[in-house]
Amino acid sequence: MTGVIDRVAPLRWTARGLKWLGLDGRGLVVAVPVLWLLVFFLIPFLVVAKISVSEAAIALPPYLPIFDWDGIVATITLNLGNYGYLFEDPLYLRAYMFSIRVAFVSACIAILVAYPMALFIARSPEPRRSVLLMLVILPFWTSFLLRVYAWQGFLRSNGVINNFLMWTGLIDQPLVMLQTDFAVYLGIVYTYLPFAILPLYANLVRLDGALLEASADLGARPWATFVHVTLPLSLSGVLAGFMLVFVPAIGEFVIPELLGGPDTLMIGRVLWSEFFSNRDWPVASAVAVAMLVVLVVPIMLLRTVQSRSEDG
Amino acid sequence: METAPLQGAATTKPWREGTEEPFVRIGRVTKKFGDFTAVNDVSLDIYKGELFCLLGGSGCGKSTLLRMLAGFERPTEGTISIDGQDMGQLAPYDRPTNMMFQSYALFPHMSVEKNIAYGLLRDGMKKPEAMEKVADMLRLVQLEKFAARRPDQLSGGQRQRVALARSLIKRPKLLLLDEPLGALDKKLREETQFELVNIQETLGITFIVVTHDQEEAMTLSTRIGVMDAGEIVQVDEPPAIYEHPASRFVADFIGSVNMFEGHVTDDEPDYIRISSRDLGQDIHVGHGVSCSMGQRLWFAMRPEKMRLTREKPEGVINAFPATVQDVAYMGNLSVYRVKLRGGRVLSATRANLTRHEEDGISWDEEVWVSWGDTAGVVLTQ
Repeated sequence: MTGVIDRVAPLRWTARGLKWLGLDGRGLVVAVPVLWLLVFFLIPFLVVAKISVSEAAIALPPYLPIFDWDGIVATITLNLGNYGYLFEDPLYLRAYMFSIRVAFVSACIAILVAYPMALFIARSPEPRRSVLLMLVILPFWTSFLLRVYAWQGFLRSNGVINNFLMWTGLIDQPLVMLQTDFAVYLGIVYTYLPFAILPLYANLVRLDGALLEASADLGARPWATFVHVTLPLSLSGVLAGFMLVFVPAIGEFVIPELLGGPDTLMIGRVLWSEFFSNRDWPVASAVAVAMLVVLVVPIMLLRTVQSRSEDG
Repeated sequence: METAPLQGAATTKPWREGTEEPFVRIGRVTKKFGDFTAVNDVSLDIYKGELFCLLGGSGCGKSTLLRMLAGFERPTEGTISIDGQDMGQLAPYDRPTNMMFQSYALFPHMSVEKNIAYGLLRDGMKKPEAMEKVADMLRLVQLEKFAARRPDQLSGGQRQRVALARSLIKRPKLLLLDEPLGALDKKLREETQFELVNIQETLGITFIVVTHDQEEAMTLSTRIGVMDAGEIVQVDEPPAIYEHPASRFVADFIGSVNMFEGHVTDDEPDYIRISSRDLGQDIHVGHGVSCSMGQRLWFAMRPEKMRLTREKPEGVINAFPATVQDVAYMGNLSVYRVKLRGGRVLSATRANLTRHEEDGISWDEEVWVSWGDTAGVVLTQ
C-alpha cells in the first residue's frame, strides 16, 4: 500500500497534506464518521436549536433572526418563551407522557415477542439460521408506509379480521380496532420487531453452549437454566433491543397518524401540526429539542449499563 | 469437613479380582452422528473409587463417550448404568454425575462463590446451608480469598480449581473430567495432577478423566483405557499399558518406540528369533511367544531400554553397529538418533547422570546399539 502511495505523486502529496493536518491512516478512519455526524447531525441540530430560541413571525422563513446588526450595535435576541410555552400548555406535557408510555409498553411487548424468536433462530442449525434471519429482515423490502396502510385493511370494521370473525360466528358486531390505541401499539410492535430481534439474536448466538450444559449438569431444569444463565447473560441484548424500539417509537408520526384515533396524541403528531398547520417553527423546534433531551437520558442510561456489563 | 474414608484406589484393585460389582457399566455402546460412528461397540466396567483415564488422540471418541455418561448425548445403541441404575433416557439434571468441562464453563456473571453454590441451590438447598458447604469446598481447593471474584478476574489455575470445586460440591457418585489440565501450563499441570489425585482420594469419588496427554494419564490413573477410532483398544494399569502394549497402535501412542517389522525364523519354547530387513542380523527374544514359523510380526523397542556403547558389548546377542546422526540434549536426558548399517534411523535415550560428560558420545561417532533379550515387546497385531 505504502508503495503505491509513494510512487504516485498526487497520492503522495495528499498523504503529506493529511499528515500535516495531523491525520494518519487511523485518524482518517475516525474522521469519516466524525465528519458525517458533524454535517448531518450537529449542524442541523444547531440550526433547530437556533430556531427554537427565536420569535415566530409571519414572514419567510416564519421566524425573526436572533442576530441583529444595524451597522453599529449587534443585538442577540433569545426568546426562551417557546420552552416556557411547552410547560404552560398541558397539551405538550400530555403528549410527551403519552408518547413515552406508548413507546415503553410497545418496547416491552416487542421484547417479549422478540426474545423467543431470537432464541429460536440462535439455536437453529446454521443453514436454517440464515433463512430465518432473512425472513425477519424481509418486511423491510416493502415500504414501511405501505405496510402500515395494509394494517388498515386488516383492522377496519369491514376488514379482514372482522370479516373472518363474523364469518366464523364468534362475533356479530364488528370490533372497533382501527383508530384506537390498540392499533397504535400493534403498529409499533409490528414495525419495530426486527430491531428488537436482531440485537437479541446477536447476543444469544454468542452464548456458550457449554454454559447451558454445565447448568443442566449441575441439576438445573431447562426453565431454571433460562432464568439463571440465559436471561442474565443476554441482558445487554435485551436492553439494546428495547432501546432500538423505544427511541424511534417516541417520535413516531406515521403509525399514530394512520392507525390511531384523533385523541392519540403523540409528540410526533404535535410536532407535525405545530410545524405545518400552525407554521410555528420556533415552538416546533423547541418541541424537537425537548424531545431530544428526553431521549438522551435513557440512551446515557443504556451506555452506562452496557459499559458496566462489558467491564464485568 | 467430615473425613471421608480413605478409598485410595492404589490399595485395592477390584478389576484384578473380579469379585466386586462394577460401579459404572458401559455395555456395547455405539454412537453415530449421521454416517459417522464416533463410538463403536464399547464395553467398559469401572469400579468404585477408581480414577479411570480415557486416553486417545483427537476424534477418537473419548469425549463423546464422556458426554454420553453425562447425558448430553444419547447412545445410538447399548446401555450405560451407574451404581446399578440404568441411565437410559435420564436427562443430565437427573443423573448422579457431574462434569468438569474442558473450557471450565464457569458462569461469567456469577462470583466464584455463586458458581460453586449453583448446583446446591438448584437442588433446593437453603442458602445458609449451601454457603457453609461452599466455604468448606473453597478451603479444599484453597480459594477462600477469591470467593467474591468473578471468573474473569482469576488466573487459569484458579479458574480450573473453581471448576473442580463446582463439579465436586454435590458429591456426585461419578465425576467426569474433560481434559481437566489441558489449559494449564506445564509446571502448573504437574502440580495440579497430584492435587487432583489427593482430592480424589480424600473424597472417594469415582473419577473418569478424558485426556490426550499420555503423561497425564500415566500419573493420574488407576487404569487407562486407550481409544482409537471409536473403539477401546486396551484397558490396563499404567505400567502394563507402557510395558505390555497390546498392539502397535498402543505401543506407538504411549511414549515413543522403535518399531521393527519382521518374521519369525526360529520358534522355540524359551526363545524366538525374528528377522527384520532393517537389521543386519536376527533379533533374539529371550522368552516364548505364541506364534508360528514365518509369521509376520512387529518388535517394539523403547528408546530408554537401548544401550549405546563405543565398544561392542560382551555377551549380548542383540548388538548392532550404527552411526550417531543427531544428539538432542533435553536436560534430564539426551536423545540420540542413530543410523543402522541398513539405513534405518533409531532413537535411543540416555539419562544424563553427570553434569560434565566431556567424552560423551557425540555426532558422527561409530557406536553399538544393544538391548537385553527381554527388553522389547513382540506384537502380533
